[in-house]
Amino acid sequence: MKVRVRAFARFREVLGSDLSIDLPDGAVMATALSALREIAGDESGIIFDEDGALRAHVILMRNGKRVKRSDLDTLVLADGDEVAIFPPVAGG
Amino acid sequence: MLTEHERERYARQLLLFGEEGQDRLKGAKVFIAGAGGLGCPIALYLAVAGVGEIRIADRDTVERTNLNRQVLHRENDVGELKVRSAEAKLREANPDIHIKAFATTIDETNVRDLVGDADLIVDAMDNFPTRYLLNREALRSGVPLIHGAIRGFDGQATTIIPGRTACLECIFPEAPPAEVFPVVGTTPGVIGLIQANEAIKYLLGKDDLLAGRLLLWDGLATTLETYTVERRLDCPACSPGVRP
Repeated sequence: MKVRVRAFARFREVLGSDLSIDLPDGAVMATALSALREIAGDESGIIFDEDGALRAHVILMRNGKRVKRSDLDTLVLADGDEVAIFPPVAGG
Repeated sequence: MLTEHERERYARQLLLFGEEGQDRLKGAKVFIAGAGGLGCPIALYLAVAGVGEIRIADRDTVERTNLNRQVLHRENDVGELKVRSAEAKLREANPDIHIKAFATTIDETNVRDLVGDADLIVDAMDNFPTRYLLNREALRSGVPLIHGAIRGFDGQATTIIPGRTACLECIFPEAPPAEVFPVVGTTPGVIGLIQANEAIKYLLGKDDLLAGRLLLWDGLATTLETYTVERRLDCPACSPGVRP
């Protein structure tokens, strides 16, 4: 199945603004994140920590709704889902 | 009641929201936290729109590195307090309104007095700790908070109505790491004007605010999107257990 990923702010620079990833049917959000970590490669450190966990300030959404950290391993994605990922910006 | 002079000054927007709307703006007090990249365009546009009282706070003095984006400050303001520089330009732009300038660091001890009897808080800060403080004050006082933030070509904004929408800590439970952020002046220009537009709409009693929606501006791709944001039941700032 295909999941659309939209990245914003600095994450766009490492993931591109709009990409489509192929995942096995029944994949959970954590699987999608592993795929993104691979795509980000050497620059994945701005999104994930050393253990591969999403950095605390990162905002993750699925079909316009926020995804809780506690749901990453259980939230099953569906073909055509849209995942948005971005860091809050802090400047003024 | 508007004076003849005011009817002339605001003629083009009286066509839009009438004398009643303009009276609402005239009677309004807005607290703007920050006189930097966001604060400058927000304050300028609220001033020329005729918001009756603008309260603006910032602790910093103008530096040359500010001048690419902080559009109320000029080369000869370098070294001057930002709020004094801003106050002078705002008075020039609209002598018919009241400007109150506070050259101070916004902290737990003074945030309540700074907000005072304002109808609205506008977040034009450059750091999350102070934003969280404004958020808590908004929740405590029930005064709405219009959030904006920028970095590089990117920006975000949302309107927080205490007790009704997600608060800042619902949306951003963790502050991003502090940094010297890159920025081009158009980014706070875009986001600041979205915030000022929200402020005017709120004061006029218009619906369809950015309430419960997070706006993301991508200036490189020239896209603007909004995402629904919901209250977190376990939010340490606004959950029912903490506040109504």
